[in-house]
Amino acid sequence: MINRSRLFFVAALLLSLAGCASAPTQPPAISTTPEAQPQAAETPLFGESPEIVPETKPAMSGNHAVIALLDRAQTDNAAGKRDAAGASLERALRIEPRNPWLWHELAQLRLAQGQYAQAITLARKSTSFAGRERRVQALNWKVIANARVAQGDSAGAEDAFKRAAELEQVEAIPGL
Amino acid sequence: MKFSALSWTRLTFDFLKSHAKALRVTALLLLLALSGYILYLDITIREAFEGRKFALPARVYGRALEVYPGLKLTPAQLAGELQAVGYHENPEPNEAATYKYTLNGLELTTREFVFGDGPQASQHLRIEFADGAVSLLQERGAADTDLPLLRIEPPLIGGIYPGHNEDRALLRLDQVPKPLIDALISTEDRKFYSHWGIDPRGIARALYKTLTGQRIEGGSTITQQLVKNFFLTSERTLTRKGTEVLMALLLEMHYGKDEILETYLNEIFLGQDATRAIHGFGLASHFYFDRPLDRLELQEIATLVGMVKGPAVYDPRKSPDLVLQRRNIVLQEMVRLNVITQAQFVEARQKPLGVIHRAPTGTSPYPAFLQYVHRQLQRDYREEDLRSEGLRIFTTLDPRVQRQAEEALTLRLAEIEKARRLPANTLEGAVVVSSTQNGEIQALVGGREARYAGYNRAIDAQRPIGSLAKPIVFLTALEEPDRYTLITPLDDSALVLRQAGTSDWKPQNYDHEYHGQVQLRTALANSYNVSTARLGIELGVDNVLDKLPLYGIERRPPSFASSLLGAFELSPIEVAQLYQTFADSGFRTPLRAIREIVTAEGQPLQRYPLNVEPVAAAAPVYLLTAALQGVVSEGTAKSLGNWVPAEVKAAGKTGTTDDLRDSWFAGYTGDRVAVVWVGRDDNKPSGLTGASGAMTVWGELMKNIQPEPLQPAVPEDIELVNVDPVGGKFYDMDCKTGVIMPFIKGSAPAERAACPFFAATTGNEAAPAASAVAITVVQPPEGKPEVKHEPQKNWLQRLFN
Repeated sequence: MINRSRLFFVAALLLSLAGCASAPTQPPAISTTPEAQPQAAETPLFGESPEIVPETKPAMSGNHAVIALLDRAQTDNAAGKRDAAGASLERALRIEPRNPWLWHELAQLRLAQGQYAQAITLARKSTSFAGRERRVQALNWKVIANARVAQGDSAGAEDAFKRAAELEQVEAIPGL
Repeated sequence: MKFSALSWTRLTFDFLKSHAKALRVTALLLLLALSGYILYLDITIREAFEGRKFALPARVYGRALEVYPGLKLTPAQLAGELQAVGYHENPEPNEAATYKYTLNGLELTTREFVFGDGPQASQHLRIEFADGAVSLLQERGAADTDLPLLRIEPPLIGGIYPGHNEDRALLRLDQVPKPLIDALISTEDRKFYSHWGIDPRGIARALYKTLTGQRIEGGSTITQQLVKNFFLTSERTLTRKGTEVLMALLLEMHYGKDEILETYLNEIFLGQDATRAIHGFGLASHFYFDRPLDRLELQEIATLVGMVKGPAVYDPRKSPDLVLQRRNIVLQEMVRLNVITQAQFVEARQKPLGVIHRAPTGTSPYPAFLQYVHRQLQRDYREEDLRSEGLRIFTTLDPRVQRQAEEALTLRLAEIEKARRLPANTLEGAVVVSSTQNGEIQALVGGREARYAGYNRAIDAQRPIGSLAKPIVFLTALEEPDRYTLITPLDDSALVLRQAGTSDWKPQNYDHEYHGQVQLRTALANSYNVSTARLGIELGVDNVLDKLPLYGIERRPPSFASSLLGAFELSPIEVAQLYQTFADSGFRTPLRAIREIVTAEGQPLQRYPLNVEPVAAAAPVYLLTAALQGVVSEGTAKSLGNWVPAEVKAAGKTGTTDDLRDSWFAGYTGDRVAVVWVGRDDNKPSGLTGASGAMTVWGELMKNIQPEPLQPAVPEDIELVNVDPVGGKFYDMDCKTGVIMPFIKGSAPAERAACPFFAATTGNEAAPAASAVAITVVQPPEGKPEVKHEPQKNWLQRLFN
């Protein structure tokens, strides 16, 4: 027994030797799965956003889900969370893939994000679904015009502004 | 190793006594060697410990179902979706993930869930239905409130696992319920908090039994079990045992009890789900009880702790009685050590096992889709990060569409084999379904055995596409409205092409006949090879093939005229990309399987946003779509009407390759693009044309997913003109003889023809103008047109009235 404990002592000595040879480390804390995380105080998913009133556009959709997602996108956009705004617009587009207003909003967002080529394409796509809705067509030309300005295409921009103005004028004439 | 080390030490001591001076150097060397070995063990165990703590697999989710008033959905469909994400029916559906049927719909309680764009709290809801759609969505409460939209938690469709397909859900020690720790310590290692990694008495007992030849056995502390778990081998030798003891001691020197316990709770092996290994109590809780650990009841905790002894033996799904016995032993130990009361013990003991019955799913029920996701991820992420960082990946897979695609393929291939007396299971196939407007892949089937993660034909099978290439030729033509319209006559007479350096090329039609002068739309509808080849040569082979990169086909086929007829290979997913552009009015959207990736902590990491590029003008694509609708309404895909109603106005193209080796169908509806390939893996003839094979799978699939009608937006520069397609003149719009046809402005026939009188009298008086009488133009062999009247609407009238 004596012998045995002495042996353990030696073993322990060796162990501590090895222990000293390697620097002790501070293991990083375990990360948690998001599901297990306590719920942080969160913004209501479908909460109203009273501060952000879209400019006087006609009802962009008759679908409340789409309106809720548009509200959410606008709130996120106003808070500078452009990626999140894009995600909400894409959700809305999955519900109404042919709604020109949603494509227009996405074009606006890309413009704000500095993705000018995408902004122009998405504005065109919006217009392709616009039918006779001149309002959204005019707004799309404005997006195109602004994107062209940013791209340094002043002639193209001027042309696009002109198209926007024309469409707005036609719209202004009562009875048309 | 420890024992050999000890005996060496003993030897050294003996030597030191007798030959102290002479062998002092030797002793030092031996000590050095031993500490070197221990140092090696130390590094190994610490690497394992540190490394394992972070090996958290990426989790892959399917699309989240969005429910809103007006959505086409039935209560049964919703219940199916809920069950698929682990909801249970419960008469009081107030606990998360429960639901019940009500008179008009369902009541349910959702789980809290962290989506790619933030957390969503658990909600008590009521959903009602009317006329096959959601009519009411309310949050249940003191006062019920209407909600515009509900996003249900997405189904977990797989993971990207570390090394040995280990899966786990990490927990912090403070998230682990105390009874679990009590149960574990009571059963596995009562002295855990006082020993220094090993239990000398346990070891002595084990050593005694081993040396006396009784059996080799454990006496392992939790620390030792953890070490053992790191180096998963069941080898039981003294050497291994010695190494294990040394490593356990080393672990205890470096880390505190809590850290060791925390790692143990996350590391311990607790079961096998086909190819996926279940590690840790967090995941085991979901795997066996479908609830997070903190919602388990005492007896359920005891069940899990009991399984630590050997999850292969104590498998509650295979040996429930054995596990129940073991669970009660754990409970007994707990009451004996006073960590639970007698009352708790009696109550828990009476409860049933309560393990959920669920078919094991392996690593993923959708291996083909998951493989595609994995490949996309590998472009942007390091493999080791995917396997260890706990990324959460939100994908586009729609389980309902996927299921229908799988079933359509399995069903039709079996039916075809039976009907044609082919040997069973010789045909193979692949399906890709994407969403028209955003290019999201909703379903991907890599073969008949959709659960089998084998050869993924949807992305890896490269097959000649045959006539699926023709729309590229026709679109190139229609982009020149001055030269080509839908009614431009094409030459379908014998063609011999002499090219220097190659043998003569003599394309044949499928019926081995020539059809003289045919309208452009007819040549496509009937998939005439000769007129298509002549058209392509007229346009310039390179001019046509150069378009392919625009439509997302990166590999350019060889500049041979035969490429015009699809003598080049593509995978089904590449074909889907090609047709996506046709379906989306000339906008190319790269196919996407991933929407966004967030970190384990819920921070957005990467989004794959919608990206659209205009690659073809809308008007010619509009004309092409009209012609492809003609393929379905009156061409080679006419029998699609057996599956898909004419009102859907689907557009599509059949493809058949030499000797009937490959059967293809690519087509689109208002909301989806789908591509089907059918053939044999050994590339022998399948005996199927595009229409008799792939098209029937396509039809079966679409029939079951209620396609939206295809009504492309009419581009500004398109006009609809009432024409006499044969004479090449236009009629007044009210003339019932003509066919209303889309033209790019300025390309319609300029010459007006008088409306033939007889047409007005043979028409159905009650029907509106122009659509009352359908006119089919039949080309007799001598090329003299003959006009036949049919009492049904023709393809374009159906299309545009």
